This record gives sequence, C-alpha cells and structure tokens, in this order.
Amino acid sequence: MNSIGVDIGGTFTDLVGYRDGELVISKTLTTPHNPTEGVATALKLAGTQLEELDEFLHGSTIAINTVLERKGDQTALLTTAGFRDVYEIARGNRPDAFDISFQRPEPLVPRHLRFEVSERLNAKGEVLTAIDEEAVRALGRQLKDAGIAAIAVCFLHSYANPMHEVAAGRILRETYPGLFVTLSHEILREFREYERTSTTVLNAYVGPRVARYLKTLESHLGDNGFDGAIHIMRSNGGSMSLTHASVEPVSMMESGPVAGMIGAGAVARILGIQQAIGFDMGGTTAKATLITDGVPGIEEGYYIGGYSTGQPMQLPVVAIVEVGTGGGSIAWRDGAGGMHVGPHSASSDPGPVCYGRGGTEPTITDANVILGRLNPNRFLGGGMPLDLEGARRAMAGKIGEPTGLTTDEAALGVVRIADSAMALAVRAVSVRKGVDPRDAAMIAFGGAGPVHAVALCKEIYIPTLVIPKLPGNFSALGMLLAPWRHDSVRTLVGVLGKLDGVRVRAGFDELLSAAHKQLAADELDPQRALFELGVDLRYRGQEHTIPVPLPSAEALINADQVVTDTFHALHDMRYGHAAVGETIEVASLRLTVTVPRGGESVEQFLAQPFVPEDPRPEQRRPVVYDNSEQPLEARILWRPSLPPGFEVEGPAVIEESNSTTVLFPGDVARVTEHGHLVISIHLAQGEAQ
Amino acid sequence: MNAITPAGMSAMKTRVNPVTQEVVTNSLIAYADEMALALCKSAYNMMIYEVRDFCCGLIDTDGRMICQNTGGLPIFLADLGIAVKDGIDRYGLDGFAPGDVIIMNHGGVCGQHLNNVVVYTPCFHQGKVVAFAANRAHWVDVGGLRTGFGNSQTYEIYHEGLQMRSIKLFEAGKRNEGVWQMITDNIRFPESSLGDLRAQTAACHIGERRLSELLSRFSVQTVNDCIASSWDQAEAEARAIVAGIPDGRYTAESWLDSDGRQLDVPIRVKVTVEVKGTDLTIDYSEMNPQVNSPLNSGFSGGLSAARVAFKCLTMPKAPVNEGCFRGLKLISPEGTIVNARWGAALGQWSVALPTVIDTILRALAPALPGFVPAAHKGDMGGCSFYGVREDTGARYVLMNIYGGGWGGRKDRDGASCSVSICQGDVRNTPVELQEIHYPVLIECVKLREDSGGAGEHRGGLGLEMRYRSLGKSTININLERTFEPPWGVEGGQAGRSNRSLIQRADGSEREVKKESNIPLGAGDCVTFWTAGGGGYGDPTKRERAQVERDLLDGYVTAEGAARDYGFDVPGTGLGSRLRGNDGQGDLVIPAPTSVTPAPTSVIPAQAGTQAPAKERQA
Repeated sequence: MNSIGVDIGGTFTDLVGYRDGELVISKTLTTPHNPTEGVATALKLAGTQLEELDEFLHGSTIAINTVLERKGDQTALLTTAGFRDVYEIARGNRPDAFDISFQRPEPLVPRHLRFEVSERLNAKGEVLTAIDEEAVRALGRQLKDAGIAAIAVCFLHSYANPMHEVAAGRILRETYPGLFVTLSHEILREFREYERTSTTVLNAYVGPRVARYLKTLESHLGDNGFDGAIHIMRSNGGSMSLTHASVEPVSMMESGPVAGMIGAGAVARILGIQQAIGFDMGGTTAKATLITDGVPGIEEGYYIGGYSTGQPMQLPVVAIVEVGTGGGSIAWRDGAGGMHVGPHSASSDPGPVCYGRGGTEPTITDANVILGRLNPNRFLGGGMPLDLEGARRAMAGKIGEPTGLTTDEAALGVVRIADSAMALAVRAVSVRKGVDPRDAAMIAFGGAGPVHAVALCKEIYIPTLVIPKLPGNFSALGMLLAPWRHDSVRTLVGVLGKLDGVRVRAGFDELLSAAHKQLAADELDPQRALFELGVDLRYRGQEHTIPVPLPSAEALINADQVVTDTFHALHDMRYGHAAVGETIEVASLRLTVTVPRGGESVEQFLAQPFVPEDPRPEQRRPVVYDNSEQPLEARILWRPSLPPGFEVEGPAVIEESNSTTVLFPGDVARVTEHGHLVISIHLAQGEAQ
Repeated sequence: MNAITPAGMSAMKTRVNPVTQEVVTNSLIAYADEMALALCKSAYNMMIYEVRDFCCGLIDTDGRMICQNTGGLPIFLADLGIAVKDGIDRYGLDGFAPGDVIIMNHGGVCGQHLNNVVVYTPCFHQGKVVAFAANRAHWVDVGGLRTGFGNSQTYEIYHEGLQMRSIKLFEAGKRNEGVWQMITDNIRFPESSLGDLRAQTAACHIGERRLSELLSRFSVQTVNDCIASSWDQAEAEARAIVAGIPDGRYTAESWLDSDGRQLDVPIRVKVTVEVKGTDLTIDYSEMNPQVNSPLNSGFSGGLSAARVAFKCLTMPKAPVNEGCFRGLKLISPEGTIVNARWGAALGQWSVALPTVIDTILRALAPALPGFVPAAHKGDMGGCSFYGVREDTGARYVLMNIYGGGWGGRKDRDGASCSVSICQGDVRNTPVELQEIHYPVLIECVKLREDSGGAGEHRGGLGLEMRYRSLGKSTININLERTFEPPWGVEGGQAGRSNRSLIQRADGSEREVKKESNIPLGAGDCVTFWTAGGGGYGDPTKRERAQVERDLLDGYVTAEGAARDYGFDVPGTGLGSRLRGNDGQGDLVIPAPTSVTPAPTSVIPAQAGTQAPAKERQA
C-alpha cells in the first residue's frame, strides 16, 4: 500500500510517504491563505504522483486555530429549559486567584443565540417533561431565516437517555437542511453538563469551516487523480475517515502534535521499552508524553486556550504536556533582575538572531550556537548558515552584561533555564503519574529535541535516551503509523459486585453497535478491528475515576478479582495509596476500537536494518557543557554514516540534516541495528551543582 | 545548617546562581502542585475533588511556608504554618520520627472552622527533620451541631465538633488505633473523611519524597539560599509597588447583615490602611467585637484576608511565598470577629472575609485611582441540603458553591457568576452530578438579568438557581450583604443583593436570609439569587452600543436599560415613558431590533413544571 502523511504546521508543511517500500520526504513553507497549495508543492517536491497513492493521511491545526482565532461560523446552542446560561456561567472558578482583573472563558455562542426548549429527563434518563417538538421546528425555521450555520444541542442527562436530543436533531435537520447539527450524546456520553456543552459547542463551532476545508482538500486531491482513502489524524492518536472528521471535527483538535508521539510509541515497541517518555522540541514549544508498552497515554480532555480562560474539550486526547520552550524561545530579564526563557518565541519570522533575518532577541537556538552545540555550517544540512557573532552580540547585550555574566555563562544559563522548564513538563507526564524516571527511557525528536535531551535525562535521572531515525521529520512520519481509532464512553453508575448484568450488557452493546456503524460507514472490515472494553472505577465516595481495562463484560458483572486487583494497583501507583476491601463504584463504560494499518508500514522502516552512508571524516570543536570557562574538545560525527554497532562516548556531537544530538562527557551512544541511537546517560552521583 | 530555614539566611545574602534558583523554586512549586493533584484526584468528598477546598505545601522548621500549590484557595494563605508550628512546639524537632502523621484542626490554634483539617508529615534528610509536608482539606463533617454549610446556631467551639490538636495519628508508621476509633465514632461520614485522610497522608508522602530527591541533588544550604533569595525578590517586588502608593492613612467601613443569631444587629467591618514608604499596615482595631455566633475567625482568618488584599494589590500573578508578605504589617487586636478569643464559635469563619478584603480595597481606592473595581458579591456563596435518603436510608449532604457578580472595572464590565475573592479555583457542582447523587431536581441555573450594578462599566451578573426537594431534607440558608449590596464606585450603582425564597408544595412561600436547619418536604422549592457586582462610573457614560449589546443578549432588560441608562429602545419611546414610573409600567416590550433571533423565542421565560418564582425588588 502506498501511503502519504502530510502535516500542515504553523511554519512548515511536512510530508512523509511510503511508496513501494521506499520512504519519501519533503518539507515546504505552509501557505496559510490556501493550505492545499502547500500540500501540492510538498507532493511535487517528493516526486509523488497522486494517482499512485492508496491513502492520504492528514494532520492539521485548522480546528484548533478556528477556536483560538475565533474564526468559526455563527453558531447557536439549544438546551433544556432553564439552563441555556450554564454554558456562560461555566464552573464559576477563577484560576488566576489573586487577579482582581481576571477574565472568564468567552463563550463561542453569545447569549442571544442560546435557546431553550421545554423538555426534561431525570438522572436515570426517565422523561419528566416531553420535548416540545413544535418549538424546535419553529427554531429551525428561525435559524434558517437568520442564516445561522451551526447548532449544538445539549440537554440535561442526555448521556443517560438521548431520545430528546435525537428528536431535536431530526426536527432541526428536517426544517433546515444544511444546518450543521451536533448532538451532545453523539460525541460525549458523560455527565457534567458544562463540559459536555462546551465540547458540543466546539464541534458545532468549528464544524462548517472544517467541513469546507476538508471538502476543498478532497476535491483538490480528486481533481489531481487521487482515488484512495483520506484519513484524518485525531487527538486520541488514531485516525478517522474524512467523512467522520467532517461531522466530528472536535476530534481533530490535536491532530497536529500527536503523530510524533505515535511514532515514539512504535520505536518503544521495537526496542522493547516498557516505560518511555516521548519528548518533542520544535521552534516554539516542547511537548512530553508518557508512553507505556508502546502506547501513548490518553487523558479525558483538556482546556483549549489554557486552564484559566480556555474552552473545555472532554474527548480523549493524547496526554501531551506542553511548555513554551522551543528553539525560538526568547531569553529575557524581569524588573527584579530574574532571568527567564520563553514563552514568547521569535518563531520563523524574524527567527533567532543567528538566522540573520532581522532577529534581535537572543533565543535558545542562539545559546546553543554560542555554546558550540549547534554547528553554524551544518544547520538544515548546511542549507542555512548561522550567524554566530550576531548571536553572541545579542546574548551579551541583552542578558550577559546586565546580569554580570560572560556571554558563555549567559548562554549556558539560558539553556539551563530552558532545560529546567522542560524537565518540569517531563516530570508532569512521568513522576506525577507515579512513574519513576529511573525506570524509564526518553525518546527524543523534533529539530531541537536531541540537542537538549541528554541534559534533561540527567536532570530527571532518566538512564536511557533514544534518538530515533529521522528525528527532525518524526511527526510527519508518525502519521503513517496511526491506526483507525474510535473511542466511546457511556455513563453507568453502580457498585462493583452488585451491577445489573442486563444494564451492563446493554451499555456495552450500545457502544459496540455504534462502533460497528462507524466501521461500516468507513468501509472497514470489523474482523480486522480490535475491541477493547474498559470501565471507570473509584472507591465509593470518590469522584475522580481510573479507567481499568476489562477482559470482558462478564468480568465486570461478576466483579472478577483481576478487575479489582488492577484497580487497587493503579490507584496505589497514581496516588500513593489504595483501600483494599472498600466498596468500588462504577462510573462509566468504555470502548476503544482500533483497526491496525495493513501491509508494509513505517513501523517496518523503523525496524529494518540500517545501511549507513559512506563514512565522512570526523571533526572536532570546543563545546561548552557544564563549565562555561572550560569548553571541552568534542568529537563531531555525521550520523548517516555511523554503522550499526558503532559506539561513541561524550563529549561528542552527532549531526544529521535536520537535527543534532549532544552527548555530555561519560554518555555513551550506540547505533542499533535499525539505525536508532541508544544513549546510556552518565548520571551524576550526589550533588548536581 | 541542618534544616530548611531560609529566612535565617536572609542576613547572609548569599549570591545564588540565578539558574539554580529558578530550578529549585520551580521544582518546589511543582512538588506542591503534585501533592494537590494527588489529593484532589483521590479525595472522597465533593468539597475537595469538585470544589477544591484545600491547599498543599512544604513548611519550614520554623513554621513558615516554603511553597504552596498554585491555583488553590487564596484564603488559605496563612494556614499551614500556624498548624505545623503548634506541633513543633509540642514535640520539638527531635520528637518526630519518619512515618509520623500528625493531624490538626484545633480552633484555638487554626482559627478556622473545624472542618478544615490539617495533616502533615516530617521530612527527614540525613536523620534530621528539615521541613514538613502539609495540607489542609475540608472534611465533609467533624461532628457537632453543624452539617454542611451555613449553620448559624452555634455559639461556642464545643458545639462545632471534634477537635484534634497536633495528634500523632501514626507514630513511626504505626496507626494510633485509639485516636482512629475516636474519630470514626464522632463524625457523621467516617467513610468519606477517613478516605480523605488517606488521600491527605499520601499527598504528604509525595511531598516528602520530592523534597528528598531535591536534597539528593542540592545541599540543604543551596536550597535554603534559593528560597531565601526568592523571598527577597518577592519582597522587593511587593515593596516597589507599595512605594508607588501615596503615603497616608486610608479608612473604609462596610456592613455585614448580622451574626446569624441576632438578626437585627448589623456587623461593622472597618479597616484602616496606612502606607508609609514601602510598608503597608492593615489595622483591624475598629473591627466589630467578636460575636456570640459562629461568625468569627481566629487570628489567621484576619491575617489571610489582609494577605489576599495585599497580594491582589502587589503581585497577583507571582507564586505565593513568605517574602510576598514581608512588606505587610497587621494590627489585629484580640476580641474581634477576625481575631476571636479562644472558645468562640468559628463555624462561619470565612463569611466576613470577602467583605473585609473588599473593604481594604475600598479604603485604598482613592489612593489608587482606576485600580480598584466596584464591590463584588461579597459572600462565600454556598448552599447545602442534608438528611437521610428515604429510598436507601443513607445519610447525605449536598454541598454546592457558586458565584455571583464582580464589580465593574476601569476598562471593562465585571465578570458574572464567579466565586468570591476568597475562593479562587473553586468550582460549582454540576447539576447532573447533584441529581445523580442527591434527592433534588434543579429547575434552573441562569444569569440573573438586571442584577449587575449600572455603570459606565456594568457590574457582572449574579445567578438564579432553583432546587426542588424530592423528599424530606434540611437546609441552612446564610445570605450576606443584603443590607449593603455590592457598592458601585466612581458614580456606578450598587448591584442587586443576595436573595432566597422558599416555596412550599402547599403554595405558601417566604423569603429567608439567615436560618438554620429548615426542614423541606417533597415538592418544596428553594430559589437562590446571588448578588450582582457594583457598577463602575456614571451609567449615562456607558456607550450606547454596549447597552444595545446588553439588551440583545438580555443581560439588561428593556426596563432596566430605560431606568438605569435612560435608553430608548428604538422606535418605542419606551425609555422616556418608563423613567417616569420607576419601571412599573404595564408595557409590552418589543424584541430588540436586530437581525438575530430574540433570545427566548423558543419558549418564553422560565421552564419547570411549577410556576416560576417571581422575583421581587429586594
């Protein structure tokens, strides 16, 4: 099967393809006015013909940018009578606790477009007040007259019984064909009305714009001879059909960043790493994810635009912790003399000072050039010479002189502060989840990731670091690994051991039949699909739950010991205590369906023997490590020419086209048979100072 | 140097490597956050997991705060250290062993309601205690006369439940079974609270572990230097802000409704703020004497309020540490509602504090033109229903904390339906969650139209929320600031005040302000309207386009627009007609003239199976 993955980022459009067992790669500038233009260029650069492709995978930031830039179409909201303001009242909290000028999340639907209808269910899903269908019909006509493009429908307790939402959806679509309708139970069957409403609104709000975008993409590809399948990356790390993405675009919020973590998962599987921390550092941010047994962790939602004023999105998303520290992050001083790095970034325009494109603020990349860690003559494979002197001047002027530090000290300080911030992100996805970093390995990628990864490992006591093949193109590559995936959840409250078997079976049947419907719609063979059941458990009286995998529905109904044991163990691992013997409560049922990718794949590329290029002469240059006054003479190696089994001990720098790996003294890197670098980190004993 | 006592270092002024400092201080805050996350996620009661009524941190061996979790409750600023200090004084630093877990809620020391239970553990390094990992969390019940929020009947601390003063619940890892039994037998929801206790203890252990990791990388000396230096920086930053406030004495006075037992005597909140150079002194000398009801806090309550106000003024975005408050002096004589003598009831300890903070800011408003917003809702905004479920026989208590309007500001309208200045990242309880767990049906949760004080920048709106009890239940109601609603500033008007109404299934109804243990039967309804924020600036200066938007969105009704803003709805002459008759005109209000549909076009006004409560002018 010939597949191609295209990631449209803020700066670059990345393409990685797998054609007749060969990998093709290209990179071109993103064309924001018409993103498909950039895609066309990338295809051309890769020398690919659309006719020969069976599958086109795509990740995009269009959904999340539509929210962040508030570029969605006019959207309405329909709620249970008495509750249209829940969406604006939200949870009433003020995360910026001492700020008397705090701001609240700004609703995407203004109050005059929020409507109520007489209908009511109780928490068991029983009808207390029947829905006023005539009123819904009248609303449909009104929306049509006013030219409103989309509507979100969220009724109280619809997770328990969706019949009123179904009726409202049917009537709205009848009276106003073409209206983009999102019913809350169709995308999220969990209680908590505010978060469910927000998720539903997000879908409706981005819906028309994303659907148009996807349609343009589809017709562009079709016009140019493509007749394969188009799959879209979703935030949960899987992919979905273009048709599905067009009705559930909220699932593609993190469509861009997840792919690299999927790739890291594959590398972890190939190398047999049980606990890995995926670490991705690009131009503006760094991201970390915990990968267990080759599977990136998934969390139930997050806040788009940040916790304080963002919009909650409660669908599963790969648990990525992001910090505003990337190669372009700017170093600065506050009024009291404190030194900081980021989150403001020089991005690609003007870029770091050393790019020589007008940047004046010293960045992390500048610091790395000053310290000798980046080679000014081999950046982007030598395609972009860097201005070392400019970087030094800016670092001295903005940071060094005002703080009384030498330029090298200042540069080292900038790198250390960045490392410290990134270490906290890595800590957040590891130790905070009960994972001891000393038992884990880091898998680092992104252009800047391998530059900083060794220092991070030292800081957090991670003994093993992996730099996979093609770390600078790793995100696009990961896309070709994403299985088709469908997650669903259904609230079901009860006590473990006293569950009504009929209800549980009915609950799972419902989830399964919805999944089968989706498989059929996407023309996938259910025989190839993997169905994983799960349940959210907690001790009675607790609120937050822990998802626990289930061997079968019967195991849950019978409260098999494997279920209780797993729950106690997970609870102890996460929170440091367990309460064996206490009553365990069930909160919801889960189903995850995946369809693995068939045929040859990038996973094979990652696992196949590595054939090195012809050797290149080794170089040497001074590199600053821990002491800015005593740079060490480091070996400089060209990675593509290093054969499997090759070993090097730091101080050393291993360079390749789109990335650079920095080894500290005592660290030993070895090239695996597949061409990945595995580095044994020399961990300091005792005082780190 | 064998303990983490950073302030002891301040005289030395060691120059700390700025990079090491950033690493150490970031790490400490991350540890406190990690403790908070574990506590929140594994807690057993809504006040912790949903409402987030807790704080976590590391405390030095002198009882000072090394770090505290971010985003917690502002009012927990003077908290943990006082509790831990009591244990240090009792046992001595040599009297702790690894595996000790100490529990503490003593009213005389902590000065808060007894539900706020502190749990802490000693952190050892090379065989010595170097610090303590501590947290405070709101237990759902501690026995005594009070269940849930808002009970005003107690008048001495002994009515209010079990007190535990610096008791070692675990000694060197071994549980003190006698104490455990005594707790189990004296509180209403032992399963819940002992679960919380487990979560609290585990959170402390996380703090211990992290600190020990930090000390394996940096010496105690280095960590102390980093903390001392971060405190110095915070102090310098705060003092620089204070220096910008003109020297002088500033006074303001506000009024609380009553102590809850004697309903016709208002309570005076009077503060004087003196600014002199870089020192700011808050003086509570003229505060109302302590009362014979639970509306008292100990010293730490008044201190917390002063600290919250000071932090809002000086460096609202920076992390909290002791250095932030070195520029603040407090005069708080014993015997007032914010420093009650030992023995006073403390059940409603926090109720006065939002008004105390508002009043401190009010005093400084003339010195800081444009900085201080109009008053916010000024109460803690909570309700609780409790009883025994008729279907299962289980005892229950429902607790919900919700917001109200905040005051208009110099440059924008006040926020709507937000929790008080004391509460920060406290969240309301979802309707669906309440209905799943408790025998109530919630009939509406909506913005309270016209409740924001009129002004050039309007006050934020309060909310309206109606509960229908599905069986026998009991409720406490404790409204505040109804006599002196949230005030406006610079010519802005006051916001609408708090209000509640009980409507019985038999059709009778009555307004309630403060009352404890009100029985409810099936079908009885309770409606709460929370206060709106005060307005900022003269309402006539409000931009016409903004009034139009308010009308379109229904934040302001046509009557309100006419009455408060002299606004004529186009083509009707409505404003001029209404101004004459105080909004009581019997007029048909046309929909706003706009291309978009009117807000309530699908169903008119309120829903519900019962006739909606009619709002009257308070």
